[in-house]
Order: sequence, then C-alpha cells, then structure tokens
Amino acid sequence: MNKLKQAWRNNWVGYLFLSPWLIGVLTLSAIPMLASLYLSFTSYDMFTPPKFIGLDNYATMFQDAKWRDSLRVTSMYVFLGVPLQLIFALAIALFLNRGISGLKFYRAIYYVPSLFGGSVAIALLWRQLFGSKGLVNSFLTTLGFETKNWIASPDTALYTLIVLMIWQFGSPMVIFLAGLKQVPIELYEASKIDGASKWKQFSRVTLPLITPVVFFNLVMQIIGAFQAFTSAYIISGGSGGPLNSTLFYTLYLYQKGFTHFQMGYASAMAWFLLLFIACATAILFITSKKWVYYQE
Amino acid sequence: MSKMMKSLMLYALSIIMLVTVAACSSNTPNDAANTTSTPKATNQNDPNQQNEQNDKKDEVEIRFTWWGDTTRNELYNAIVDRFEEEYPHIKVKREFGGWGDYWDRLTTQVAGGNAPDVVSMHQFYVSDYARRGALLDLSQVVDSGSLDLTNFPESAINSGRINDTLYMVPKGVTMPGWAYNTAVFDELGIDYPDMNWTWEDYAAKVTEIYEKSGGSLWGSVDGSGGQPQPNFRYFTRQHGQDLYTADGQIGFTEETLVKWWSMWDELRKKGAIPDAATGTEYENAPLEQNMFVTGLVAITQIPANQIYLYQQQFSEGEIRMVRMPTLAGGQNGEYIEGAYLSITEKSKHPEEAALFIDFFINSERSLELFKVEQGSPASTTMSEFVKPLLEPAQQRAVDFIQEVLPYATDAVYAPLGAAEIQQLFSDQASKIAFGQMSVEEAAKAFMTEAQAILQR
Repeated sequence: MNKLKQAWRNNWVGYLFLSPWLIGVLTLSAIPMLASLYLSFTSYDMFTPPKFIGLDNYATMFQDAKWRDSLRVTSMYVFLGVPLQLIFALAIALFLNRGISGLKFYRAIYYVPSLFGGSVAIALLWRQLFGSKGLVNSFLTTLGFETKNWIASPDTALYTLIVLMIWQFGSPMVIFLAGLKQVPIELYEASKIDGASKWKQFSRVTLPLITPVVFFNLVMQIIGAFQAFTSAYIISGGSGGPLNSTLFYTLYLYQKGFTHFQMGYASAMAWFLLLFIACATAILFITSKKWVYYQE
Repeated sequence: MSKMMKSLMLYALSIIMLVTVAACSSNTPNDAANTTSTPKATNQNDPNQQNEQNDKKDEVEIRFTWWGDTTRNELYNAIVDRFEEEYPHIKVKREFGGWGDYWDRLTTQVAGGNAPDVVSMHQFYVSDYARRGALLDLSQVVDSGSLDLTNFPESAINSGRINDTLYMVPKGVTMPGWAYNTAVFDELGIDYPDMNWTWEDYAAKVTEIYEKSGGSLWGSVDGSGGQPQPNFRYFTRQHGQDLYTADGQIGFTEETLVKWWSMWDELRKKGAIPDAATGTEYENAPLEQNMFVTGLVAITQIPANQIYLYQQQFSEGEIRMVRMPTLAGGQNGEYIEGAYLSITEKSKHPEEAALFIDFFINSERSLELFKVEQGSPASTTMSEFVKPLLEPAQQRAVDFIQEVLPYATDAVYAPLGAAEIQQLFSDQASKIAFGQMSVEEAAKAFMTEAQAILQR
C-alpha cells in the first residue's frame, strides 16, 4: 500500500499529462468495447433493453449464409488486394529510389491518395470512373475493347474496390522507401563485383534486407483492409450488391445493427472480426520467424 | 533498424487492436447532423392576441426532423419560421437529411434516447418504431385539444393507426402509379397507357416501346425487386393477399411470387426492361440522374406527389401518370400512402410538439407553402385551400390522387423483421436477374428464409 502511494506521488504528474489520452481511450474505446462484448451475448434491438441469450448470436452467425458471404468477400479483398498493393508500392519505391531528381515532389504526390483514398468523395469518383458511361469505358472504347458495367456486375465489382485499394499505395510506399535507404550500399558494390545481375541484386540483397519493412506493411495493411467500409458502402449504395459481391464484413455488420435492428448480433460479429484479425496477425507473426531477416 | 522496427511494430499493433472493435461497433453514419439553429423570428409588435397569451409562457425548445432534398429543406424551414412567429415561446430546432441517412440517424437517435420531438414517419418504417414503443399515442394530444383532426377523413386517420393506436398523422396523402412523358410516346407514335391498364397491357406496352424504338429505349424500369412495396404489394393485394397477415406472417403464396418474378423475367429476357447490371447501377441514383430522367426508360414507377419534380426535369412533354397496373378479374391493390408526422414517446414537450403538428397540417400559413410537397393535404379543408395555388403538374398529382384514392382499402402494417425480409426479397430478385437462380428456386428459398426470419 505504501509502495503504491509512493509510486503515485512520484508519477501523478505523468498521469495528469496522460489523462487527455487516457480519458479518450477509456470512454471512446475501452468502455464501448466492454459494452459491445456484453451486447454480443444478448438480443438487443436498441429500443428495448437487451435480453441475455448466451452464445446464440455466435451460433446463428455460423449458419448465416450471408455472413459467410461477407467473410469470403472480405478475405478475398484482403488476401488478394494487400499483396498486390504492396507489390505495386514496392515497385514505385524501387523506381523512386534510383536517385531521380525531384524525389520529394513525387513522394508527396504519390502519398496523396493514401490521405483521402478512404473518403466518400473518392468512392463517389470511383463509381463514376467505373460506371457504364465512365472514363474507364470510354478509354476502352477508344482502344476498341468491349465495355462492361464494372461496378454493377457481380464478377467485377469487387475488383474495382481492389483497384481502389491498390491506388492508395502511398503510405506503404513511403515506408518501403525508408527501408530501401537503410540497405548498406557496400552490399550492392560487393555483389556487383561478384557479377550479380540487377535481378539477382534485388532478390538476394534488397529483398532479404527489407523483409522487416515488408512484414510491417503486410500486417498493417491486412488489419486495415479487414475493416474497410466506406468504399463498399458508397459504391454499392449501402447494399453490398450486386449479389453480395461487395458485401464487406463491416458493411454487413452495419446493416445488421442499424437497418435490421440487431445490435446484439452486430456486436457478436464485431468480436468475431477482432478474433479473426488477431488470428491472422498471429499466424503472420509465427511464420515471420521463417522469412523475416533482422540484421543484428 | 531491426530492433526499432520490431518495437515500433508492436506498439502500432497494440493500438490498432485496441481500436479495431471500437471502430467496428461504432460505425454510425457520419453525415454531419444538419442542425441549423433557428433564426429568432419573434415578432413583438404583432398585436395578435395569441402572441400576448404565449408571451407569458415559459420558453420551450422542440426538435423537428424530416427527409428530403434541398428544395424541401428550404420549404420546411420557412414553415417552421412561420410557426415560431405564431408561437414565440416555442423554438424549433431542425434536423434533416436524405432518405437513406434519415432512417439510419433516426434509429441511432431513438436508441440513444435523444430522438427529436417531432419526427417524419413513413409506412415502411413506422411499425419498427411503433411496435417497439418509441412513438407516442397521439390520442392523448388529440383529446387535450392540441391536435385537431376534425377535418380529417376517417380513412386518413386510420392509415396512421397500428393495432388501433394512433401513432402518426398524415402531412400529405399520396398514391403511387406509373409515370410517362407524353413527348416520348408521341415521338414513337405509341398510344398513351390507359388509366385502368392491366399487367398484360403493361407488358405489351413495355414491349411495344422497346420494339418501336429499335431497342434504343427500354420500356420501363425493372420492378421485380427492390422494395416489395408498392409494386409487388399491389400484385399480392390484387390476388386477395398482402405482404403480411394481421398476425405477422407472410401473407402471400409461393405461387403468387413465382407469377410475379416470371412476368419480369420474361420481359427482361425479351430485352424490354433493363438488364441486371444496368438496373443495379441506377438503383440508388438521385432523381436527376435516374433512368427515366436520363432517357433510358420510357415508363417509371413514382408516387404522385413527385410528378412536378419530374416535370421540372423535362422541357418537352408532359409527365402524366396512370394507376398501378391492375389484375384482370382481380381486386384493387390500392392502399393509402403518404408522409406522416409522429411524436416520440420520450418527448418532454408533447403538447408543444402537438401544437407544431397542428400548425403544420391545419394552418393556411403552413399549407400555402407546403401545397402538395409530400402529397395532397389529408385535411379536406386544406386540400380545398391549396387547390388554386398549384402549378399544372401539381394539379395533375392531386387529380390523380383523388381519382385513385377511392379504390384504397385498409392495409396491415409490417411485423418486426420486415426490414430483413425486404432485403431478402431484393436479394432473391437480383439472383434471378443475374441468372444465378431460376424463378422457382428463388421463390422457394425466399419463402423458407422469410418464415424463419418471422419466427425469431
């Protein structure tokens, strides 16, 4: 007890300075999270008091075909989109790293999409671009290709969202750039003397040395992508259509909570997503021992 | 680099994991609540007796919310200003938004216990709120004399009752129908649709338009899916059924559903109505950009009060309207529709809220602005009053409503779970449209799943 008192006396100023953040975390994150954990075990329509129903919400979830659809669509978006985005970001970073002039300018320009790529305005713009009378189609017509209704066809709608994600390559690119700058120049000189080709240099020197950065980007982008919402909400008009092809997990969660008045079920979905992301991240961490190389 | 990278990563991760769930469970619609503060419109010099009475009362603030576009927002703000002039002790805070956002926000507000006092209501949604006890029984304020419904026909009042309790009163009564532009029909040399056409006539007309235009124009929008009302609901009612039964079960047979979807499927396969992808693309388009206004289809289904909005979009031709297609040898599908006003159960000032509704639906100062904005005024005195004020397109709307209204019969309100069933209906219809399921399969799956939803 005395020790505690002592600690408090020594540190209270520190906590005082922390308090704006602490209050935010408690009231805006921690408490709502606990509330949603409780709600996930209830039947709650937001009007009448929640009724405790145990694990029923979770049980219903696994039998809900639409829920499975949403999980499938989201996984597809994440596990196809994120690698493509990272490959693209790395390619641009490699290009910018060759010491071209005006690097700062390009870096800033390419970063811009990351800043407002998740906004409503961009989603609306995307809708126009890939619409039946959009820019993409008029471009294709000029080149003599078949046009298609990209947004409204179930077999292509998700890909337009993936392209939107790839387009927001700026923030991983900047991190890649920082990583590339850390690769010791001597290694390139040594490999050159040994007669390594450009490709060999990339695959044997650059890539292994930036694996920590690749890993970092991979984890961050995967976690972010699982929670994508705005693009699908705007582009599908809130429906997740056509034929659930853009029904992101968070979008379905939103529909359940706010359109179908099933906040208990929606909370259970949120907690499942948390666990799912946690597992995906854990798996990445475990496998990372095999392929991430830290220079000690 | 490595150590730093690793700890940076762990730190970033822990924050993200913390935020994940909070972010997921708080996906509230981020439309800025369009709350405008009320201009001070007190008119102290007005020697009106009412004002002198009111000046002595305590100041009260109520909130009023509605859906609509910019024009409507200006209009309703003006009506509220006039109310504040008339009742200087009552301030009205206004909140408004587009149709979709409106309902998302209202749900959240009601759940959070900070719902506005006076809310705009609609048949599609009222049972969600009424059956969960979120709305006030208006007979209280009618009995206290704050809300006067003496000039309202019994049928209009009844359309606001659920299980014999009055939850909402109509701002305006409207009827849906199918609209067309005379110029388009004249150019193609096709006869206008008949006021009392049947579904067969409809199918024939749509096909004729498609063929005579050489395939450059679709006959009409695809009415197979989307919201089951009014189109499919009329169809079920014409078969002597309805969407739901009074005790909250599915009110139509699988056979009716198969008939309905088969009709649309045939038209789609003929090319007379838009293909699935095009239909989907325009599903949520605003009025100015929808398929009818952009000239992709010749006929569309709208509520009558919107005739003048559509007329504004066309320089040539006249927008006219005919009844929803009827069923040869069947019953009438019509039921009263409209936009309504309700008071929320938790309102601290139900009497003042009632005074506001009373002003909105019964006073000439309000109605000379409202005219037929959300339908023909339900009060018989007021619908006479607005008649000379109308533009031709609005006059056509009123004529249409008056001609069709006598066909209307009572309609049951949706049970809990209707929102989910609506989604299911729309999902199954698009599965047919995209060719993923046959009509029979889709109908069978619909019936099974819908029954499961209602049993929960």
